[in-house]
Amino acid sequence: MNGWHLSTLPLSAKVFCTLFLVGIGCGALAAFVQASTAVGLSPTAVEASLAREMPMTQMQMHHGQMSGEKEITLGEISSAAKVWIRTPLLIQTSHTHLFGQTLIAGLLGLIFLFASVRESIKTVIVALPFVGTLLDIGGMWLTRFVSPSLSVLVIAGGTLFALGYALITVIALYDLWLRKERLA
Amino acid sequence: MKIPCRLLAAALVSLCLVAPARAHITPPVVLVSDRDAVVSLLAGARRFFVREVRLTAAEKQAIRQQTGWTPEDDFYRFYIGRDDQGRVVAATVFLTEFTIHGPVRVAVALGPDGKIKGATVVELTEETYPWVKPLLDRNFTREYVGRDARGTFAVSAGGGESMAQFYGQVVASLIQRAAALYETGVIKRGDAA
Repeated sequence: MNGWHLSTLPLSAKVFCTLFLVGIGCGALAAFVQASTAVGLSPTAVEASLAREMPMTQMQMHHGQMSGEKEITLGEISSAAKVWIRTPLLIQTSHTHLFGQTLIAGLLGLIFLFASVRESIKTVIVALPFVGTLLDIGGMWLTRFVSPSLSVLVIAGGTLFALGYALITVIALYDLWLRKERLA
Repeated sequence: MKIPCRLLAAALVSLCLVAPARAHITPPVVLVSDRDAVVSLLAGARRFFVREVRLTAAEKQAIRQQTGWTPEDDFYRFYIGRDDQGRVVAATVFLTEFTIHGPVRVAVALGPDGKIKGATVVELTEETYPWVKPLLDRNFTREYVGRDARGTFAVSAGGGESMAQFYGQVVASLIQRAAALYETGVIKRGDAA
């Protein structure tokens, strides 16, 4: 970009970029483990945590009904120590993740702007973490208030963010340390 | 190298902004699954039922006057345990309070007379857990056993303005709300048998 390339950065800048990318990678791994243990990584697990709770009794069929009762087996009660994300927690999660992930996507993108790849490819890759973040958080709201089947968007969003991070990191690290310097 | 250095300085400042945003996230701590809580609190039950209750405006108002809390959920679910003869052993309901430090979720067991038979804190957050743990270690919810919704639900957790005191009171309030919900939504409707 404007004659500046990752491969021509001074050593201190290369170290900064590398450590930032590695640090974000570690954070992303920790977030992955946290998501898998607290919620799960399948659309079904996400749906179970995010979708609105539906009645188990005949109240589901008759919305105006004031009560309902039915016999259940213990197997019908969740045995998983999973988090059920209710609306106030969704609000809290949204505001922190939208700020945090967008800032991370911005910093990743800032580094990647100086990568030596074709402009069209750069445009697509730099957009991935942003789009992933919006799909991820937007998918949570859509799962809760539009349709539980949209939980797949949360998985897709997380995957896009991870894909964007991986591409940016691999290309940036290659440029930083392996690409031969070209004099402008 | 002026341009990249300025950009990197901007990146550093942005990094500093990221940290506090991430610090707000407090991962949940699930202490016990719903099934384990139901099994434990409905000990002695041979058959299990789900009773779901939608409150009328008048019932919500009655609960608000009794506890200061207005029920807002579309419906409330009670897990009811019965013996072999079909008599109610106890009912369990899960209630949550959303605090600035994350949710506090409690399972409360109530007898057919509306009196509290037990309560278990099922979910906290990493931030709130250390504050509540001393109370959990002394099994403080036992103090409310035998009380109904009109009982006193004070907490003694070192007093003052401590976080333990605050969260102890949150748990105690949830237990009282559960009792009021069962009394209004089940007993007063004549559905406790």
